[in-house]
Amino acid sequence: MNNSAHHEKTSSAESLLSVKNLRVHFPVRRGGWLRGERCLIRAVDGVSFDVAEGETLGLVGESGCGKSTTARAILNLNRATAGEVWLDVARIDQLSPSAMLPHRRKIQMIFQDPFASLNPRMTVGRIVSEPMDIFNLHSRRDRKLEAMRLLDLVGLNPRFLNRYPHEFSGGQRQRIGVARALAVQPKIIICDEPVSALDVSIQAQVINLMMDLQQKLGLSYVFIAHDLAVVRHIADRVGVMYLGKIVELATSDELYRSPQHPYKQALLSAAPVPDPVVERQRKRIQLTGEVPSPDRVYPGCSFADRCPIADAACREKSPQLEGEAHAVSCFKPQLLAPTVANNT
Amino acid sequence: MMNSPEQHLSPKQHLLEVDGLQVDFKTDDGLVQAVRGVSFYLDRGETLGIVGESGSGKSVTNLALMGLVPRPPGIVKSGRALLDGQDLLQMSDNALTAVRGAKIAMIFQDPMTALNPFLTVEEQLTEMTILHLNHTPAEARDHAVSMLEQVGIPGAARRMRDYPHHFSGGMRQRVMIAMALSCEPDVLIADEPTTALDVTIQAQILDLMAELQSEHQTAIILITHDLGVVASVCDRVMVMYAGKIVEEADAPSLFANPRHPYTMGLLESVPRLDRPHGVSLSAIEGQPPDLAHLPPGCSFAPRCPYALEKCTVEAPPLTDRIDQGRFACFVNVDDSEPKPFAAKRT
Ligand SMILES: Nc1ncnc2c1ncn2[C@@H]1O[C@H](COP(=O)(O)OP(=O)(O)OP(=O)(O)O)[C@@H](O)[C@H]1O
Ligand SMILES: Nc1ncnc2c1ncn2[C@@H]1O[C@H](COP(=O)(O)OP(=O)(O)O)[C@@H](O)[C@H]1O
Ligand code: SF4
Ligand code: SF4
Ligand SMILES: [Mg+2]
Ligand SMILES: [Mg+2]
Repeated sequence: MNNSAHHEKTSSAESLLSVKNLRVHFPVRRGGWLRGERCLIRAVDGVSFDVAEGETLGLVGESGCGKSTTARAILNLNRATAGEVWLDVARIDQLSPSAMLPHRRKIQMIFQDPFASLNPRMTVGRIVSEPMDIFNLHSRRDRKLEAMRLLDLVGLNPRFLNRYPHEFSGGQRQRIGVARALAVQPKIIICDEPVSALDVSIQAQVINLMMDLQQKLGLSYVFIAHDLAVVRHIADRVGVMYLGKIVELATSDELYRSPQHPYKQALLSAAPVPDPVVERQRKRIQLTGEVPSPDRVYPGCSFADRCPIADAACREKSPQLEGEAHAVSCFKPQLLAPTVANNT
Repeated sequence: MMNSPEQHLSPKQHLLEVDGLQVDFKTDDGLVQAVRGVSFYLDRGETLGIVGESGSGKSVTNLALMGLVPRPPGIVKSGRALLDGQDLLQMSDNALTAVRGAKIAMIFQDPMTALNPFLTVEEQLTEMTILHLNHTPAEARDHAVSMLEQVGIPGAARRMRDYPHHFSGGMRQRVMIAMALSCEPDVLIADEPTTALDVTIQAQILDLMAELQSEHQTAIILITHDLGVVASVCDRVMVMYAGKIVEEADAPSLFANPRHPYTMGLLESVPRLDRPHGVSLSAIEGQPPDLAHLPPGCSFAPRCPYALEKCTVEAPPLTDRIDQGRFACFVNVDDSEPKPFAAKRT
């Protein structure tokens, strides 16, 4: 078996995926295409992070903050406006689709919608073995066996090979998506809200599966979700995004026990926990206002309009993401109140 | 029998009493038994949560109360739903139109299912109170502005002329709440009202609902799959599985002492913010049954680690919990050895 993991290993201190100052801007017209004014949507506006081998990096943030656009830009499905994406020792942003192809063996993606992301006209066997055809992995005869092995690996009956996606439930389809991503033996999988559409009992099955596979195969994940508890559960380190930027990045336990950015604390305090006793004693940090728009340029901190501790200085200059192990982008980083995670 | 006002208001009589509700759908795949004999009550000023996996019958139960089950393919096969003594399931369409909005109103996950994209917010809000409260157009307008202010739409008077697509998702949800509450209904049914919203906006909307509830003593049925939301706002909780209520109790008791294995599994399978990183979740293996081809006996049996032989032949009846609540299971989980849920092969 031609497994890319057998290549010379980069030293463990080095990262497998490295995103440097990534920007994705979309030029659009607002209010009718004839007289409408031009504007620029800064969907991703200077995002940097590293992912080590075997590590899970979580990305959280509210709708529209740029999580999916970041994911798509890493895989070159959206062209990056600026910045760099490195996979192992190769720079992969700006590559043409054909030049990107060999790298797609190392980096795969799974999507939120288990109903839309599988071709309804293909059997499960075809769906899972298609990537092997593309990369010419295994002999033709062995591909079917490999597809059966992968189905078994993700907890599906290998005899389901000849069935079509509509015959499966949401959780099963997500397993099929995972099997397809694993077919090329990638090193890292970018997962965009992979469990958000699933019921809680099924969500737990898929999360456990992904964590098992990571242990077995030494995979890395970039795991995107808006559910803070899911991300805390699965990620080693977590980045919090707001309006196209990472505003706080730290290890999972550190970020949830001792969040420093007011936005992260507001998110944590708004997320209810399934325990009426805890809920009845909690005080929430109230945020006013709606999520601001990525087509506006904010002179100072983009969170200032909603921030409970903003002052005049915050509206003049933009804070930068600073710090090594626990990076924060705020002029006044501080723990405003104990979080629910402090009980653990 | 005389029906004196005292009797009417006696604590024994509930605002809403649903009894033996059954709803079927005729589909190509066979008869789907979406709701299979659901009974519950609702009191003024309380919030009743309904949780359960998708397809467990939460929405159909409540659509039936609103007279909104699509016919065909749906039929309300049997049951009663007494709102203030009047059976919602037996009402003529005209009578229902008079009750809907005025006494019982519903908000949906997707506000665009309730808002008309071609009418301004003003047109939609005033229509309701002109119809139900006999407002003059001027009164209706004032009332509409004050409702929008109450739900926290900035510049309410100005925004009355806007169309729904001019608002963000969270604001549309508020407009729909304003519309649902504009005639001060006795019962508000909220079907996944915050599922599509971000947590910070969700917190604002839930606070808003609670505030309006305490002002008007509205009774709320909150359908959600989010156990955190249930824990934070519900007084009582009903757990549905495959078209039936499998457990019901006041919220603190249900979370502290679940009696039904499905409830237990559900509570154990959610990742929690107040639990450390990396512990393995216990997942309920398998999937909910196909409602067109239900197994005999307890419909949770194929996934239940406590299942006995009896469970595959006989359906467990709802029995009382020690604390007012009810549950439907043959096994006393406290007397039996704990049986962990685990993610097994499906
Ligand atoms: N092709 C595009 N053209 C114009 N704007 C876009 C395009 N794709 C994304 N955007 C905008 O970029 C911003 C970020 O979008 P993105 O899909 O990355 O958000 P997200 O964080 O994944 O949100 P969600 O949680 O809702 O999935 C949004 O304002 C979105 O409307
Ligand atoms: N219009 C319809 N036609 C056929 N089946 C339906 C229809 N509406 C709902 N059902 C079925 O009824 C069952 C219960 O659905 P629903 O109450 O919407 O579940 P949920 O608990 O997710 O709200 C499901 O099996 C669903 O497929
Ligand atoms: S920089 Fe100022 S406005 Fe921005 S998050 Fe920090 S305190 Fe709030
Ligand atoms: S009745 Fe039997 S199968 Fe059903 S929940 Fe109870 S133990 Fe499990
Ligand atoms: Mg997205
Ligand atoms: Mg529903």
